[in-house]
Amino acid sequence: MIKYIIRRILQSIPTVFGVTLLSFLLIHMVPGSPVRILLGNHYTPLRAAELSKTLGLNKPLWEQYLIWLGNIVRGNFGFSYTYDKSVVSLMFQALPHTIVIVVVAVMLAHVFAVFLGSVQAYFENTKFDQIATVINYFFYSMPTFWLAVLLVIFFSIDLPWLPSGGIVNTQLSNPGFGDWISHLILPVGALFLVSVAGWARYMRSSMREALLQDYVRTARMKGAHEFRVIFVHALRNSILPLITLFGLSLPSLLSGALFVEEVFNYPGMGLLYWDAVNSRDYPIIMGITVFIGLVTVLGNLIADILYSLVDPRIQY
Amino acid sequence: MAEVIRVDSIGVEFSINQHYFHAVDDVSFHIHEGETLGLVGESGSGKSVTSLAIVRLLAKSARVTGTVMYKGRNLLDMTVQEMRQIRGGEISMIFQEPMTSLNPVYKIGAQISETLHLHQRLSKREAHDQVLGMLKKVGIARPEEIMNGYPYQLSGGMRQRVMIAIAMICNPSLLIADEPTTALDVTIQAQILRLMKELSRDYGTSVLLITHDLGVVAEMCDRVAVMYAGQIVEQGTVDDIFFATHHPYTQGLLKAIPKIDVKIKERLQPIDGNVPAITRMPKGCRFSSRCPYVMERCRSEAPAFVDIGERHYSRCWLSAAEGLEK
Repeated sequence: MIKYIIRRILQSIPTVFGVTLLSFLLIHMVPGSPVRILLGNHYTPLRAAELSKTLGLNKPLWEQYLIWLGNIVRGNFGFSYTYDKSVVSLMFQALPHTIVIVVVAVMLAHVFAVFLGSVQAYFENTKFDQIATVINYFFYSMPTFWLAVLLVIFFSIDLPWLPSGGIVNTQLSNPGFGDWISHLILPVGALFLVSVAGWARYMRSSMREALLQDYVRTARMKGAHEFRVIFVHALRNSILPLITLFGLSLPSLLSGALFVEEVFNYPGMGLLYWDAVNSRDYPIIMGITVFIGLVTVLGNLIADILYSLVDPRIQY
Repeated sequence: MAEVIRVDSIGVEFSINQHYFHAVDDVSFHIHEGETLGLVGESGSGKSVTSLAIVRLLAKSARVTGTVMYKGRNLLDMTVQEMRQIRGGEISMIFQEPMTSLNPVYKIGAQISETLHLHQRLSKREAHDQVLGMLKKVGIARPEEIMNGYPYQLSGGMRQRVMIAIAMICNPSLLIADEPTTALDVTIQAQILRLMKELSRDYGTSVLLITHDLGVVAEMCDRVAVMYAGQIVEQGTVDDIFFATHHPYTQGLLKAIPKIDVKIKERLQPIDGNVPAITRMPKGCRFSSRCPYVMERCRSEAPAFVDIGERHYSRCWLSAAEGLEK
């Protein structure tokens, strides 16, 4: 197992290397230069040349890449152009906020999707299943940002129950835990709803298949309760596809919280990324892209390890 | 001897395009304590459907009529909870496919002890000891090791032994074995059959053995019921069926068995045609479309199941005529 993990980490080195190359090239292909944005109204060709030199943007592209890569290898992701802070410290500030909403949303969504999908499969083609399917497709096909905006309209504006954004109520002199939680509900809710919709579909089809297997009939013949048949016997066999989805969803959620964070003005990785793109803050953009690449590799590794825990036939 | 189970005129209907069709029609039989009844027939004759109807494991869309009296109570009237007590505790079942009948993700020991825990209050230690003892009884070497193993590590024969252990661990009164050896190779078949015979004798368990293999019937059974197209067409002792064969279908079955002492030039005699689909059953006798002795009456009127002496029953106009003569 340890050997396998080490091998997988070594195998992922070329992948991460590719990610660095791609993210570097892509961001430099995007029109608009950071120099122009940083100088704004103070733009003169002389100042631009000066700033380019300070930021190292006047060197040939391949040289810039090698310098940047060399720094990354040493753990130095560079210095933000706009915030006057190191990229690593900015990411460390934003990451916990993102992790809170993503972890909570992913956990809740997984548990609920597994439950809903299983029950739908068991009551296949009944009214309940049909209604749940329609609701699922409704949320599945809805763009995340639009859903987020709708949530704000319903629950912050029409019904003034929850704050529309941020993480603390700045008007309170001593904002407490409850205030913090109330700021999390809508972003977590938006992520939860879009995630559940897709995952419940996968779970439904996987559970449907499992319920037709011979070992399910064996379990019934032992005298097991239907609840036990579904959630003990069939569940563990049908949950593998969801573990794959979990691994794949980790990076997209850490970055895909982007729209949600943007709508709710939530100071996580997504918002940091968004602002960096708007101001052509190359070090932050590339830093986060590489980080997402690492998380992708990690997510797949976690999924593979979970496989072997769930299914004894899979051994490394 | 007392009857363990009496199946009285059960019928099973499935709906196909909003029409109900009989997959099993007017099937009756009983099994005494310690007795083995063979239920024989081609694929699609309704053997498995009959057995699943008894334990009520058919899909909800199936309509079951008739009565199944088990120790004085009708299984078909029981509540779901009562039925769960029966399954695994009093009536258990082993299936045709040992490769897929065990849950691939749980340990063998846990799968056997599950039946115990569902029906008896036992400590972990007691359950463990019972499982160990059962594994030894079904002839598994290194039982401690197997208990901690998973199904994928076992061969088909071993898995069927484990299935038998699961079925027998609560000492049921009736064991339903649905083609238990069909998926196994011949040498393993013989071992599994011998094991079932020994266990049913030692435990005094009645067995309903479903098979299409008349060799297995001769080996294992006390009495035989032959099924054709959802009905029992002939029922009697093994001797009756093999040596005083009555129904043309049973005769056909026996002629279709290859024998080792017959000259090579003689060809096997298959029964022409196929079992009719349940959507297009012949109007009269269901075997009339394939019967070599078919008469005018057979095509219009269905024969009754008549006693042709010494509890030997046959569903045929020829037998009915003979019965009247007696």
